[in-house]
Amino acid sequence: MRPVAIIGTGQTDHARRRDDVSQPELVREAASRALTDAGLRPADLDAVVIANMELFEGRAMPELWVGEGAFANGKPCMKVATGGTSGTSSCIAGFHQAASGLFDVVLVVGFEKHSEGHTQTGMALTDPFWDRAVASGALGNFALSISQYMAERGVTEEQAARVAVKSRRNAARNPHAHLKDADATVDDVLNSKLLAHPVRLMDMCPQSDGAAAIVVASADRARELCPRPAWVKAAATRHEQPYIGDIERRLLTMRTLKDASRSVYAAAGITEPLQQFDVAEIYEPVTYAELAWYEILGFCPEGEAGRLIEDGVTEMGGELPVNPSGGVLSANPVGATGVIRMAEAASQILGRAGAHQVEGAETALVTGYGVYAWADAAILGSAA
Amino acid sequence: MSERISVAIEMAQGWRYSSGDAMARFSEGLRRKRIEALQCGGCRRRYLPPRPVCGNCHLPLSDWVPVSDKGTLEAWTVVFLPFLDARTGEVRDGPYGMGLIRLDGSDATLNHYLAENDPARLAVGMRVRAVWREELRGAMDDILHFEILP
Repeated sequence: MRPVAIIGTGQTDHARRRDDVSQPELVREAASRALTDAGLRPADLDAVVIANMELFEGRAMPELWVGEGAFANGKPCMKVATGGTSGTSSCIAGFHQAASGLFDVVLVVGFEKHSEGHTQTGMALTDPFWDRAVASGALGNFALSISQYMAERGVTEEQAARVAVKSRRNAARNPHAHLKDADATVDDVLNSKLLAHPVRLMDMCPQSDGAAAIVVASADRARELCPRPAWVKAAATRHEQPYIGDIERRLLTMRTLKDASRSVYAAAGITEPLQQFDVAEIYEPVTYAELAWYEILGFCPEGEAGRLIEDGVTEMGGELPVNPSGGVLSANPVGATGVIRMAEAASQILGRAGAHQVEGAETALVTGYGVYAWADAAILGSAA
Repeated sequence: MSERISVAIEMAQGWRYSSGDAMARFSEGLRRKRIEALQCGGCRRRYLPPRPVCGNCHLPLSDWVPVSDKGTLEAWTVVFLPFLDARTGEVRDGPYGMGLIRLDGSDATLNHYLAENDPARLAVGMRVRAVWREELRGAMDDILHFEILP
């Protein structure tokens, strides 16, 4: 397989509603920005990958409707739809296409326009025999596994609230973020509405309208086109058994994320993740999940995630800034959310992250998460 | 410039899904308040819901084992928001309790409702028992919810 790199990124300004544009227009916004960032024209693209959860907006073949907005006419185009991992998995598909030698330049675009659909219905349309009779959606499922995480590892509501504060403060420096609050406090979070014990409104990710895109290039094209490409050092994806009840102690073990991360760590020579990564963009759908991921990703021993957030280790300026963009807690157009993680990590390596740039970032971790069933991990670096 | 418009679409649709033989036997059992799991001859895991092949060992499953309608609360929450029932389109109002229950005799946990909806009275490790509907229909909601045992 050939080395590949990300040479450009583009995002919409994510928001609760984007009534000013149709879905194809939303996609075109992000795709155009990515091409401009990479210094390319539509004719330079060899293939296109699209990420979207079509049931959320209730229409078939979104890749047909929005394909033109993604410059896909006359080109190979495919769609990835794996819940929260749709975005990171579509990026990994784009890496594989370029690495295989089939294509030199691939555009990956993820999008969701939650305001035009029924996300809760889409989430609930699972196995009609088992899951639907007792469905509680993403929120109830998170809350259930959080009770185990708290009981076993002693993480507190206040520690989780600190994650929300970090996220919304970081988002205040990101022009693309949906929820921003430079003055957010732990009390704000603890006083926000209780949704499902112990999860409060400010603990949860929003539903956003938005799109994000990256341009992936083969090594030769990347060197021609980009002064400092974000090289893909490793990428992995893992799937899990189908039923929530199949997966033992979900937040605590998260076999998919552990396996995917250990696979990319081994491929990229990462043995001390906290020291070796300069920045991480991880898929944290709820505050407690970010704490659990610290432990699963090996940023700290089990049970010490609360200390990590209290000590500011993952803040901007800390040893390993986690989600300088504000993360999923600050913008969540699901099909785009994983592409946003990849685009943000790439921007950090490219040196184009603006007001939330981690100075001199050379090695970045990206993760994706899809309802405990799927996980992705990728490492980007400044050296080929 | 024209005024922006949006188009609204409402529709009622029906679907029909085949269960497969394992789920058919399981559902038939529910009509008699009987819960059964399929056990893998390789890893010995007892699966709920029952399915024809072990996803880890890839062995066909045919050993039915009885599972109690009592179990242990492995995880819990109380949901305060209304939630949509994906079978009927009806809304379930909060607050309602939910749990992950490890039924005695099963390895997998069962996601189900709890009779208790006060967070102060719920804890991991509590013993629970199924409360059955009077008129059994052979579906998961023949169990209305689980009550906390003293």
